[in-house]
Amino acid sequence: MKTHIVAFALSIIISLSARAELKWQQTTIELHPTAADKQAVGHFKYQNPGSTPVHFKSVHASCGCTTAQTQKDEVPPGGTGEITATFNIGDRTGTQVKTVTVETDEATNQKTVLTLRTIIPQQLEINPTFVFWKQGDKPDPKTITVKVSKDFPVKHIKVTSSSPDFQTKVEEKGNGEFKIDVQPQETKNVVASTLTIQPEDSQKVFYATARITNATTIQ
Amino acid sequence: MRSPLVRQILILVALALAPGIGQAVYFQHKISWKSPIPPSELATVDQTRAWGENVIWVDARPDDEFASDHVPGAISLNEDRWNELLPQFLAAWSPGKKVVVYCSSLSCNASREVARRLRKEAQLPDVFVLEGGWEAWGKKNR
Repeated sequence: MKTHIVAFALSIIISLSARAELKWQQTTIELHPTAADKQAVGHFKYQNPGSTPVHFKSVHASCGCTTAQTQKDEVPPGGTGEITATFNIGDRTGTQVKTVTVETDEATNQKTVLTLRTIIPQQLEINPTFVFWKQGDKPDPKTITVKVSKDFPVKHIKVTSSSPDFQTKVEEKGNGEFKIDVQPQETKNVVASTLTIQPEDSQKVFYATARITNATTIQ
Repeated sequence: MRSPLVRQILILVALALAPGIGQAVYFQHKISWKSPIPPSELATVDQTRAWGENVIWVDARPDDEFASDHVPGAISLNEDRWNELLPQFLAAWSPGKKVVVYCSSLSCNASREVARRLRKEAQLPDVFVLEGGWEAWGKKNR
């Protein structure tokens, strides 16, 4: 009977020490930056509830657009801290999911994947962002549709072409939708224009491209 | 008397460790958000060789990696400076060309994002992701 009790106690102790690991407050964070933000920062907080120190072996982000930093290399028993993940938004759009893999010297669960989910607000949805004509094509107008997000009410948009070779005409369709007709003067020469689309009362600028391409088609 | 005690301890230790080890192995590399790229949107290095001069190479890696080295003739187009770089790429594009986008390796995600935006936003046809990325290209061309 005595041996059974000793064995049971031993197994409990070993089991507890084997399961000793960093306790993460959360391993997934969702961020909602504003349209003006250049970065989104997530703080992954942890605690070491075990009786031995935990050491970080590596912290590795899934892409070059994300950096991750630990405050310290060693977490003492009872110690707390956080890993800061910084996602550079750049010209990215929509929902971006980036991960940070944390490797420690814990007995189990040595790798933890932290997920940073960033919802980048999209003021305008432009479709398509590129219109083209082949040399010699009929210079008929082509349409770019602009849809305004309901979170960013925009009544008017201004469109300017970087080249006089293309004319633009904006038509308001209602329900936050605009139609931009783009028309080249002629299609004899290879020319291009950057179309700047600016919502009224907004600093943010959007772009589309119009181009006359080489007539040669390689297949 | 000692032998059964040791055996019992070992059995209990093994039972106690089993769930932890199983969990560690199972979750080791699990990243649930990443779905595979459809084969029709992938191109191998050998395929791109067969396409010859009909390919526009697009480097989706960050600026510093592109500056360090890249596929000869590749155009830099990453999401850090998408608005600035896209017109330069479109100036090189012409109908009928196949666009092959690459990033660092098999595990990177930048090439699939750039390819997706070229297809969806610019509505370009024939946009492919290079299987294995820069790493695979380097193995076959170095």
